[in-house]
Amino acid sequence: MSRKPQNKLTPLSEDPKWEDVIPIPQEEGSAHPLASIAYAENYSEAMDYLRAVMATNEMSERVLELTERVIRMNPAHYTVWLYRARTLFTLNHDLYAEIAWLNPTALRHQKNYQIWHHRQTLINALDSADGEIPFLTQMFEKDSKNYHVWSYRQWLVKRFDLWDAGEIESVEELLKKDVRNNSAWNHRWFVVFGRPDTDAFKDEEIVKREIEFAKSQIRLAPQNQSPWSYLRGIIRQASLPLSSLREFAEEFAVFGKMDQVRSSHALALVADIYAEEPNGTAKATLALDMLAIRYDPIRVNYWEYKKKQLPPSSPVAAGT
Amino acid sequence: MSKPTPAESCSPPSQPAQALPDELHLLVEQHVQYVRSLDTRKDEYEYWLTEHLRLNGLYWGLTAVHLLGQPDALPRREVIDFVFSCVHENGGFGAAPGHDTHMLYTVSAVQIIATLDAFDELEERVDGGRKTVGKFIASLQERDTGTFAGDEWGETDTRFLYGALNALSLLHLLHLVDMDKAVEHIQACENFDGGYGTGPGAESHAGQVFTCLAALSIAGRLDLVDRDRLGGWLSDRQLPNGGLNGRPEKKEDVCYSWWVGSSLAMIDRLHWIDSNKLAKFILQSQDPDRGGITDRPGDMVDVYHTVFGLAGLSLIKHPGLMEVDPV
Repeated sequence: MSRKPQNKLTPLSEDPKWEDVIPIPQEEGSAHPLASIAYAENYSEAMDYLRAVMATNEMSERVLELTERVIRMNPAHYTVWLYRARTLFTLNHDLYAEIAWLNPTALRHQKNYQIWHHRQTLINALDSADGEIPFLTQMFEKDSKNYHVWSYRQWLVKRFDLWDAGEIESVEELLKKDVRNNSAWNHRWFVVFGRPDTDAFKDEEIVKREIEFAKSQIRLAPQNQSPWSYLRGIIRQASLPLSSLREFAEEFAVFGKMDQVRSSHALALVADIYAEEPNGTAKATLALDMLAIRYDPIRVNYWEYKKKQLPPSSPVAAGT
Repeated sequence: MSKPTPAESCSPPSQPAQALPDELHLLVEQHVQYVRSLDTRKDEYEYWLTEHLRLNGLYWGLTAVHLLGQPDALPRREVIDFVFSCVHENGGFGAAPGHDTHMLYTVSAVQIIATLDAFDELEERVDGGRKTVGKFIASLQERDTGTFAGDEWGETDTRFLYGALNALSLLHLLHLVDMDKAVEHIQACENFDGGYGTGPGAESHAGQVFTCLAALSIAGRLDLVDRDRLGGWLSDRQLPNGGLNGRPEKKEDVCYSWWVGSSLAMIDRLHWIDSNKLAKFILQSQDPDRGGITDRPGDMVDVYHTVFGLAGLSLIKHPGLMEVDPV
């Protein structure tokens, strides 16, 4: 990291707005050698004024400017955000103006999560999600797997009942750009199956639609783990037989053509399906051996373990 | 139906695991020096920009030197003085003096106090001692959901839940929380792929899997976990270069050596990943000049990746390190 203080800033000590405040320096002294002083000048000065206003619990316009100054230099400083939020609410400040300031700040600091908590507090108080989804789309253009943004989005959907407000369509847009986006897959599950007071697993039409969707996405990228997990998750939760996926999985990995496997996830699935069949142990063993030796050797112990879980072998010899 | 692209096809047959080359060994002295140097860098701007993490950083550094077998490398008295300079009247700790209280720093404070066996100092220097701290932590549990907030502002995360249980178990005050509710909440965070996220519905993430498993372990409820399914997902985090990622299709990072490794250890499936390859990846991420470990080879070191790299190596019984408890 090489963030530098912005040297253009006017020192607060030369700003008439602050002449009545005596800055409070960081505690120094031999008692706390782990907390002695060497701030870069601007940051150090801003923090001294911040300590001073917090000591008198001042909530004012200039405090908003001061906290903005600190945040610009160090957006991860959580105490500053909390103090800013308190000030905004105390002053009854225009929260839309705050959101307008927050947007570019969030776009600049992708990894920061204080911003998202702050945003949630504001939007909750505003009691409106207007403009939020378009902004999140902008965030996802920079990083479509940003965990903070996805968590915020789930909160938004729940808080404002946005289940049918285009979430599935948004997910599909993101998957069109990157079918391997596990966050988007998770969000699809959340909006389809995670709705409170509904059980989509009992709705045959939805289950069928989701299975077909996952299959279509697997065909685009057979070695992509996410849709395989999605597919297996539906089968498990809807209590469907694993064997209902046999024909599909065998498009990518089939007994008799073990040298032409196109997806280790498909191979693992057919191994599980064979294992459930009468006399399927030998076929399952071969599939697991292929995973252990050729297609996923880094997890050899996992595949060996799966082999040990198989039902006792039929007379057909397990071959490799 | 599309043909698989080269990136799409399965991994080719791999070579048998090779013995580590001689130059790849654990640089114990350099790492101790690196951790010791962290507090002498106060003339660097970066030091102050990370002030909001100071108490976490101190815990990570302290744990690192303990793992390296040199627990006295950081001065006990000064460390304890600093910890108590961060405490507030309500029993919570901030990241540094003047910072607001938060679960994460309170947990680090308790962990440092436990590591240094400073419970007597806790009673002397904090009004009400461990009970005040325990009450602060327990007060952050949400009564209806069982999860924990990080502070009075109410953001919840399974990280805070684990932190609370971890700290309260060190303080012998687990009875202050509603354990059944907490366990129920963790179950609600289990996803379709077998992993866990920050809350119900949130994407599976190896760090959150660790927090949920460790919390269940403290609660004595690891029986609730589908070990084979979760172990399958966790072991799938290992990439061909030996490093582990935290989510599917993300880059490998040394810190997941700990989050994934300890999770697998808790469910007795650590051998499902290739330890030799992992050790090699972590050792390649050392900075031989400055000491310390980075997120992946070639990047800048920091104390977070240093401690979790060392803890990962300790888990897989790499020589030269003290043994670590996965919880």
